[in-house]
Amino acid sequence: MTQRKSSGKIAVLLLIALLGLLGACFACWGLFRAVQPEVVPETLPRAPALTVAFSPEKEALFSRLVEQFNAQGFETSEGQRMVIETLRLEPEAMMDPALRGEFQAMTPDSSIWLSQLDQAWMDQQGNQVPLVGETVRYAVSPVVIAMWEDVAQSMGHPQRSIGWEDILAKAQSDPNFKWSHPSTSSASGLLATLAVFYAGTDKTRGLTAEDAQSQATLDYVAAIEKTVRYYGEGEWAVVQQVLEKGRSYLDAFVCQEQLVVYFNQRSDDKLVAIYPKEGSLWEDHPLALLETQDLTAYQRLVFSRFRDYLLSPEAQMLVLSHGYRPADLNISLDDPSSPITAANGVDPTEPQTALQIPSASVIEVVRNVWWYTKRHTNVYLVVDTSGSMEGQKLTSAQEALLIFVDQIKGDAERVGLVEFSSRVNNIVALDELGRNRAELIATIDALEAEGDTALLDGIYAAYVRLQELNDTERINAIVAMTDGRENNSNISLWQLTEEMKRGNEAGVPVVVFCIAFGSDADYSTLEIIAQSTDGQVREGDLETIQQLYKILSTYF
Amino acid sequence: MNRTRIIFFVVILLAVLIVAGSFLWRWLSQQQEVTAPVKGKLEVRIVCALPVEPWVQEAARQFNAEKHTLEGQPIEVSVVPMDGLTAMSRYEQEALLIDGRVPTAWIPDSRYLVELVNVTYKERLGRDVFLTDGEYRARPLATSIFVWGIYASRAEVLTGKYGQIDWQVIHDAAIAKGGWPELGGNPDWGYFKLVVPNPRRNVGGLAAMVAAAGEYYDRTSIDVSDVTNPDFQRWLGELMGSMTDLSSGAYTVEDLALFGYSTGDGGQLLESDLLVNMAGIQTRWADPLVIVYPKYVTWFDFPFTVWIGPETTALEKNAALEFEKYLLSPEIQQVAAQRGLRPANLSVPVTGEGSLFVQWQDQGAQPIVPRTSAMRSPDREVLLALLRWFDLNVAQR
Repeated sequence: MTQRKSSGKIAVLLLIALLGLLGACFACWGLFRAVQPEVVPETLPRAPALTVAFSPEKEALFSRLVEQFNAQGFETSEGQRMVIETLRLEPEAMMDPALRGEFQAMTPDSSIWLSQLDQAWMDQQGNQVPLVGETVRYAVSPVVIAMWEDVAQSMGHPQRSIGWEDILAKAQSDPNFKWSHPSTSSASGLLATLAVFYAGTDKTRGLTAEDAQSQATLDYVAAIEKTVRYYGEGEWAVVQQVLEKGRSYLDAFVCQEQLVVYFNQRSDDKLVAIYPKEGSLWEDHPLALLETQDLTAYQRLVFSRFRDYLLSPEAQMLVLSHGYRPADLNISLDDPSSPITAANGVDPTEPQTALQIPSASVIEVVRNVWWYTKRHTNVYLVVDTSGSMEGQKLTSAQEALLIFVDQIKGDAERVGLVEFSSRVNNIVALDELGRNRAELIATIDALEAEGDTALLDGIYAAYVRLQELNDTERINAIVAMTDGRENNSNISLWQLTEEMKRGNEAGVPVVVFCIAFGSDADYSTLEIIAQSTDGQVREGDLETIQQLYKILSTYF
Repeated sequence: MNRTRIIFFVVILLAVLIVAGSFLWRWLSQQQEVTAPVKGKLEVRIVCALPVEPWVQEAARQFNAEKHTLEGQPIEVSVVPMDGLTAMSRYEQEALLIDGRVPTAWIPDSRYLVELVNVTYKERLGRDVFLTDGEYRARPLATSIFVWGIYASRAEVLTGKYGQIDWQVIHDAAIAKGGWPELGGNPDWGYFKLVVPNPRRNVGGLAAMVAAAGEYYDRTSIDVSDVTNPDFQRWLGELMGSMTDLSSGAYTVEDLALFGYSTGDGGQLLESDLLVNMAGIQTRWADPLVIVYPKYVTWFDFPFTVWIGPETTALEKNAALEFEKYLLSPEIQQVAAQRGLRPANLSVPVTGEGSLFVQWQDQGAQPIVPRTSAMRSPDREVLLALLRWFDLNVAQR
């Protein structure tokens, strides 16, 4: 009996011990896993994503394509997730970061930039090995002259083919005709500039560096450029302004065909695309892999997968739905869902012919020469130094103003400065930058904040000076910045706007760009001022003020 | 020692054994995970010419999916597309690496690119890096010839005026100062626009210039004195002056199709590229394309070329040969024919099912190449002279 009792005890003890043992095993296992969390990441290190720089005019499309690609959850054979990151940059601004290897792929608006990049890379490396590797096109769009339908009809469209020479003749003969093309920092601006140089040499091919620099060409181009209302930050921004302001903003402007579709899909008014009879040019939106030393196998793989994705029927239909012509030729532009239609102001059978693209070196000459032939500028910077600007605000504004002065290329542009607080405190007279750059910089460095806000007096002081100058050859503009509410001017808002409307009709047209700096700025007053001169209001803060001034510098 | 103590020690011992066993098991399985992919896989890295890349890429995917092995080790093929000239230039600079390693094999556009690389390395190392005979010799995978591809409306005007299409006719059209109206065409067409690949970016451009030289001299062999002849250079310069765009990467059939007649009325281009794009061109542009076979032909033969340097192992080289065999198999060669290439495996007809040669016969495609004169492969000095001339006279224009 005692022995059976003892055996039972042993069995219970054994059971308890076994359970304890199992518990200990689980605890040990758990502890082991807890102290070994890095095992998986060690075998599958997180690879740096493929970074692609893209040009702003296709942000809506490209962001969507990347978003959809990332959402697909593609993986490498090792199980690494394929991820693309993006960087929004103007094509010209892609060049230096690309040479420094700051991204591994790029999709500018035109292949022209790839040639320029390769040229710069080979010069830098001292060999003939290009930087641009595999390249794929997924969307193309011809460069056109967008024009209000009735304006186009008045010039003979669609019965008669309209060309660059018609636009240029119209601009020279009709002072009310307002047209614009972007600066040469984007493909449409560069291509429009090439077209003007071609027209100046009476050629449609074989443009040489000598042609571009001949006095006759320079005189012709300068005469044409004088008819440009102002330049700007790119075709995308122009279309946004035209959507916002309608017909009063411009009569015609240069952009890619896709933006005509984009506009007509959103407006009751109608633009038509003019495919210049001398020849159009194409924005071909290449996606190019950059063969840098640091390019990883993972990034190459992601590029390859992304390339395939861009050419997939799904992505190509998305391309078409955004008004681009898809690279997949099996997709018909006559597809029922295609927006490339006459109703949207475009013609899928056009363009009939194209201008010849010169070599990278000739393009470089054209870009350089253009800065001397472009319409020059008289611009006053009107700066608020009231008490509310004290501290970081003033420091940021000073940096932004210096950037603006630095961005204005060449010494031939005229820049002046009006500083105001309770009254107009200080004026740096308008003069060519070659002569007053140092004075401007010293004045900006010495700005101090105190007092009230006589914004209207500040703008008026600049406006009066521009009207007195009466320089119709140049773009006349004011860039006024304030962080607060007008409270100390002698002139009223009504008086100022009436004076500017009258002056712009009778004298030289002056455009006022206003910057509402921070949340306390009186946006509605600024809007009234800008509207009276067909100008713009932009909002800025401590983070964006410098970029804003940089953007506004492209208008001049 | 009583029973309780014995049981106690047994339990402790068991516990120690189980924990130690689990650690041992985990360590072993980790070792296996780490070593397996490195030891087991034979990587075949191939740099491939652009015209055959879609075909080779598709074959590689299929090959990998079929899990081919060599001496028990699985073979994995990866394909990197690269124009032949770019690859040649990178080889010569010793800068052609994939994932930091020298490619196992190269499929250039033409065998003469292989010879050019060999010449460079022979000067540097005293030996070839690609073999021209023996087991590892370069073997053509398929051929494609250069033919005229011209928009039908334009071809009609040219043949109406000149009776045929050849380099001399194209030259005369190119120098017509009044453009298409002078030739009898539509004024909206502008001037005549020739499509020839940029020879600095696409080796097809060199092939076109060699063909033009052959026709200019009316013979199949050209040398340096021919291409440096000032009269020939002036003639070639006038011809190339009608090219619209040298800024893009290739300026080939893709451009002709994508930008239509606006950037190119026609040009001498690779037959396979033209055939592949014929349907797309008809969908996109109202005007179809016609194909015309020239008197003097140049062609690409896309040789599969194994790197014989010590940077790749013997097993990797043999794995590359396995893939080469696969590409030359009737089944894969048939796919090549469906992509407009002329199979290297002569048992595979170009007129088989899905043949583009048959589909586009009405547009001028011919399964059997008409009687033409094949240009002899130019030597290195001729090619370099043409490239130098192009750089100075066309690229810098």
